[in-house]
Amino acid sequence: MASLGELERAVMDRLWAADGPVAATRLRNELADRGVALTTVHTVLTRLEQKGFVRHDDARPRRFSARASREDHAAELMHEVLGQAADRQAVLARFVGSVNDEEARLLRELLAGGSTG
Amino acid sequence: MLPVTAVALAVLAALLAWPVPALLARAQWPGRDPLVALVCWQAVGLAGGLSMIGALLVHGLAPWGHSLPEAAWAVVRGHVVTEPVRGDHWVALTLAGVLAFELVGVLLLSWARIVRTRRRHRELLELVVQPGPQPDARLLDHPAPVAFCIPGARPLLVLSSGMVAELDDGQLAAVVAHERAHLAEHHHLLLLPFVAWKAALPVLPAAERAHGAVRELVEMRADDVALGSLSGTSPRRTLAEAIVAAAGGAGGVPTGALAVSGAGVRARVVRLLEPAHPLPAAARWTALSGAVLLLLLPTALLLLPALG
Repeated sequence: MASLGELERAVMDRLWAADGPVAATRLRNELADRGVALTTVHTVLTRLEQKGFVRHDDARPRRFSARASREDHAAELMHEVLGQAADRQAVLARFVGSVNDEEARLLRELLAGGSTG
Repeated sequence: MLPVTAVALAVLAALLAWPVPALLARAQWPGRDPLVALVCWQAVGLAGGLSMIGALLVHGLAPWGHSLPEAAWAVVRGHVVTEPVRGDHWVALTLAGVLAFELVGVLLLSWARIVRTRRRHRELLELVVQPGPQPDARLLDHPAPVAFCIPGARPLLVLSSGMVAELDDGQLAAVVAHERAHLAEHHHLLLLPFVAWKAALPVLPAAERAHGAVRELVEMRADDVALGSLSGTSPRRTLAEAIVAAAGGAGGVPTGALAVSGAGVRARVVRLLEPAHPLPAAARWTALSGAVLLLLLPTALLLLPALG
C-alpha cells in the first residue's frame, strides 16, 4: 500500500498528464495497479485541494484539474529558495547564495591562486 | 536610590547590546573555531535579554524587596511595601513586561511562521522532486545550481539539476555532506533566536550584526563537519571548488533573487584553501568559560540577595 505522499504525487502526475478535468473514478482506474479504493482517491484529492494544488468544477460527478503546471510549482519554489527574505536561512539552509559577476570572478581567481592543501 | 543589582544588570545589558557583539563580530578567532564562537553568540543573546529584563524587574520590584526572590515572595504573601511605590517603579515593571512579552512573543511568532513556510516548501517539493543521486538527496529540475535542505521532523535535502550538471561527483558529495551537517547539528535552532531578536529589536544594530555573524559561522561549521566525512586527496579544495561553482553559476536564476554579499562566501573559500591554525585548547576553554560566566552573571545578580 503506497503512502499518501506517494499517492498525491501519482494523482498529480495523472492530472498534469491529462488534457482536461478528470473524474475521480478515472483516476481510480488509472491507479488500479496500486489497488486504490475510490474513497482513498477522494481523500488524496481533498488533501491536494487543501494544499492549493488541485481544484474541482461543478459538474456531476465532480471533475478535478491541477491549478498550476509542474514547472510553475518548481518556479515558485525556486523563487522562494533563491529569495533573500530575512528568515530564509532559518527556513531552509542553502549551500551558498549566488554572488554577482564581479564577486564570482574574484572567487575564481582565489581558487586559481590558492594552495592545493 | 536605585538598587545596586539593577544598576549592575543595566550596565551588563548595555555592554551586551552594543560593544560586546561589535567586538565578537569583528574578531578573527571565530573563523578558527566556529563551534565555540556559536556557543559564545548564544550566551551573548541569552544573557543580553536576561539582563535587560532583569534590570527593569529588579528596579520595579525594589519597594517590595532587595532581590528578586525576596520581592516575589513579599508580593505573593501580600506583604506591605517597605518603601513608597513611585511612578518609575511602575514604568520599569511595565517595560519589563512589554519587553519579555515581545521577546518571547516574537520568538514564538517567528517559529510559527518558519514552520508554516517550511511545510509549504515541503508540500511543493514532494510534488516536483525526483529521487536524487544520493540516497537521502532529491533532485529538482532547474537550471540554477542550487542545493539546500529543509530542517524539521522530516528533513529534506535537495539538489537542482543545474548543480548536478555543474559539479563532479566529489564536489557533489562535499555539497551533500555540508547540508547533512546542517541537519545533523540542528543549525536552524541556533539561528532562530537571532532571527527573532532581529525582528523584535530592529533598532538595535547589534541584532543585525549578531544575526549576520551567526549565519556565517553556521556555514563555516557545516564546512568543517563536511570535511571530516569526505574522502579524496584534498577535500578542502573540493569543497572550495563546489562553493565557487555554486556561487558563481548564475544560470537560470530567476529575476527578483538578490545576490548575496561576496564577503561571507570569500571568507569561507579562504579558510578552506589556507586554513588557519586551530584555536589552542587554552583559548577554547577561555572562550567557553567566558560564555558560561556570561550566563551565570545575570542569573546570579537576579537570584542572590541584593548587594546594597
